[in-house]
Amino acid sequence: MHFYTDRKFLFLVLFFMLFAVAIALYPVFSGLFLISALIFFGAFSLIWKEPHIKLSGMALLVLLALLNIYLNGLKFGIDFVGGTRIPIILDQEVDQNTMNDLVQTIKKRVSVLGLTEAKVQAVGTTEINVEIPSNDETAIALIEKTLAHQGVYLGVVDGKVAVNGEHIFSSSIRSLSTSELAQQGADWGVGFAVDREGAEQFADAAKGKADYPVYMFLDRPYDAAVFYEETQFKKYLPPDSGQKEALKSLNDALALEGDDMPAYVLTDGQTDLTNITPKTNETQAFISENASSGTKAALASLGFKLVEVPESQIAPEFQRSRSGVLVLNKLECSGMLSAPILSGGVTTGVPNYNYIVTGSVSGASQQERHDEATQKVKSIESILKGGSLPVQISLGSRTSLPASLGSEFLKLSLIGIAFSLIAIAVLIGIRYRNITATLPIVVISLAELCVLLSILGAFTIDLAAMAGIIAAIGVGVDAQIVITDELLKRDEHTTAEKVGLAFGIIKTNAIVAIFSMVPLFFSGLVEVIGFSISTILGALLGYMLTRPAYAALVEKVLATERKGTQKQPEGN
Amino acid sequence: MIPNIYKGDYRLLVIPPLLLIIASIFFIPQIKMGVDFQGGTLISLSLKGAVGADELQAKLQEEGLDAKVRVFETAVGYKAEIEVPQSDDLVRAEELKGEFNEILPKVTQLEVLAYQNQSYSAEYTTKKAELDALGDEMFGLARMQRSQLNITGINDLQKKFSEAYSQVYKLYQESISQPINKHVEYESISVQTVSPVLSTHFIDKALNVVTLSAFLSVILVFLFFRTFVPSLAVLMGAVADITIALGAMGLFGIPLTLQSFAALLMLIGFSLDTDILLTTRMLKRKGDLRENAYDAMKTGLTMSIMAMVAFGTLFVLSVMTHISTYYEISAVALAGLVGDMFATWGINGVVVLYYAEKWRKS
Repeated sequence: MHFYTDRKFLFLVLFFMLFAVAIALYPVFSGLFLISALIFFGAFSLIWKEPHIKLSGMALLVLLALLNIYLNGLKFGIDFVGGTRIPIILDQEVDQNTMNDLVQTIKKRVSVLGLTEAKVQAVGTTEINVEIPSNDETAIALIEKTLAHQGVYLGVVDGKVAVNGEHIFSSSIRSLSTSELAQQGADWGVGFAVDREGAEQFADAAKGKADYPVYMFLDRPYDAAVFYEETQFKKYLPPDSGQKEALKSLNDALALEGDDMPAYVLTDGQTDLTNITPKTNETQAFISENASSGTKAALASLGFKLVEVPESQIAPEFQRSRSGVLVLNKLECSGMLSAPILSGGVTTGVPNYNYIVTGSVSGASQQERHDEATQKVKSIESILKGGSLPVQISLGSRTSLPASLGSEFLKLSLIGIAFSLIAIAVLIGIRYRNITATLPIVVISLAELCVLLSILGAFTIDLAAMAGIIAAIGVGVDAQIVITDELLKRDEHTTAEKVGLAFGIIKTNAIVAIFSMVPLFFSGLVEVIGFSISTILGALLGYMLTRPAYAALVEKVLATERKGTQKQPEGN
Repeated sequence: MIPNIYKGDYRLLVIPPLLLIIASIFFIPQIKMGVDFQGGTLISLSLKGAVGADELQAKLQEEGLDAKVRVFETAVGYKAEIEVPQSDDLVRAEELKGEFNEILPKVTQLEVLAYQNQSYSAEYTTKKAELDALGDEMFGLARMQRSQLNITGINDLQKKFSEAYSQVYKLYQESISQPINKHVEYESISVQTVSPVLSTHFIDKALNVVTLSAFLSVILVFLFFRTFVPSLAVLMGAVADITIALGAMGLFGIPLTLQSFAALLMLIGFSLDTDILLTTRMLKRKGDLRENAYDAMKTGLTMSIMAMVAFGTLFVLSVMTHISTYYEISAVALAGLVGDMFATWGINGVVVLYYAEKWRKS
């Protein structure tokens, strides 16, 4: 057999390399790549009948699994590495979409704290679990604070508060219907209602301010200022505008009675800042993290508390109003996220309870326009609701698992895996009293274990998954026993018939095992999903790869053995 | 080795499994529900030293905590499990929350309408009163005084209502943690509270899953065999197996939790495995039927023993560490594997052998 000229073999090797590169480059998706590789190699070892192809499919998959373990390691749940679990209780039941949004938002909030290792999972329709592999008291307190934080919405017109989040009826916030949009001549729109006090406040602030923008803030910082370096600031300018105009519109937008947030543009290398003084000794200075250290030091020496933010958060976005005024549209570090323009109807000074925010989109295709509109509606809705959490939350009692206990559990579990492997090998040996039949079973079981560990470890191995892995060792040999028993039988059936019959049984078994577990996998019952995954993967792996490979191996071994016994017949 | 049990009057073989099933049906009603399905709180503690379970339970009950305490000695030190039932206050608070959230949008809508048009005032007032009544009850549960809350409007009411709910939840958890902190010295604590809504959700999901799994399995079995009697025999084997596993749960006090539920689902697949092996061998193989049945039994028992070794290992681990996930999965699986031996070779084997012998004669 010449492997290097065998096209089928080369084809498999090519795909092996592709998968290997993918696993190395995108560790986040390594689990999915491994599952694809399992299905891919599995399909080919079912289609192609050559024993050496079946065996190499198996071997390549094991290599991929080992490579993944080597490059990316195995992820264990907090039961095994120690850590803290914080349950978040929602104040009402939410549907699947809202739940997904919530999980994403909470993930984002936690990751802002630099905790990328945190795991956020929905439990049912009313709870979300956050797990962090740490027991550090201050870190946990910080997370609890961040999680419990509810944003504050503020709508400002010409330096005066026009809408305050606490006056908006959150249940009244809605996306406008198509007919309403047509009536307004807009592409997207959000409607909301306010209470009496809110209506009066708005009427007062907006009186006579037609065509003024409403600067919508989420968590506007108190007592702060924004600083730019000139060269950097020039890059942010719209093509039809100059530095002076842009700076004015920035200052207009950030003005608020009693708490102006002034914006400054500093000449590069300017260290003489005598005309700038912080309002208090708590005043925050927002500045790009890429600003020169000289500027940062100068500001710090003036008594500002420096807040260095990424470029994207301090880069202003501008628009022009219908009357041609340059208006700040977004400045993330200040919490200013949108600036719809007031229409004449609401600026008469008469209290109004229902408001709409509308806008247009610029996308070229229908799909793009639709997506942009949906995006806009979603962001305005979440700003109005005071943050991105659509429901109130409270935190339940946390569970903390010490790392020492976890590693003890892990050690014992690994010993358990090793023990059951050895015990099964011994029992198989006793049952068949034939090393050539026993050895392949043990080798193949080890291979299965490797792949299973690698795939599950790419996600998370929790207690349920570990139980599934130990179980898979015992259940995994079943099909190999079926094949061996069938092949060892001396009767009128030919070897091909025997393999066919054994495969029929194994296929049926695998399909039944998979289908009886699939509903559990899709149930969202996170406590036991790990167990269902390992059972399903075990069956899939067995049916698609290990069984064909094992059959190919055993057939070969037994064939050579029979030849041997025929030459030297023994009387029995 | 084992003799061929199918020689002679094999019909008598159904007696042991039938006896087991009858005994199981007797024990099934005694199955304990775990916190997942019943709601309540389960606290697991790693203790600093040995503590008497009864003694601790008495102390906690003196503090007014209706707790069940168990203490285990494990390979990693002493562990205690304290189970506390659902509190009536929390159940009521959740009901209130549901009702409140249901009528809230209507009330806000009416409030806005009433500003603009007097004719809505009457309807608004009645609806608002309903909302206030719900609020008052919630504040009562949270031991809060409405008069001191200084509620300014509906938005404020909504906010304070949410806070009150959190307070009820917190009071429940404090009522548990305070006596425990007072009487127990522990190294680590794990608290699992399953609220009424969550336990209902788990029950719904579990019922959906089990219905779907059973339905898929039945369809698949009929698709594979395409003959009525063997398919029925295979399914009877699986049902008998699950029944015996459930009986063992009742007898040995293995609680029904999400974990033991997952193990039961796995048993469906496993018991069908041996049933399918037997039935296929009987129907598709040539040669003596009783020999074939015996051969299938040898293979099947080898399979079961291997699975038992793995789950047995898991069971030993669970005894050493007292990890409840391991215990519930392995105990149910072991019971099911034993049940499967009786069900497959006693019931399914007999039915299929009887059917195949008749079928060959005709």
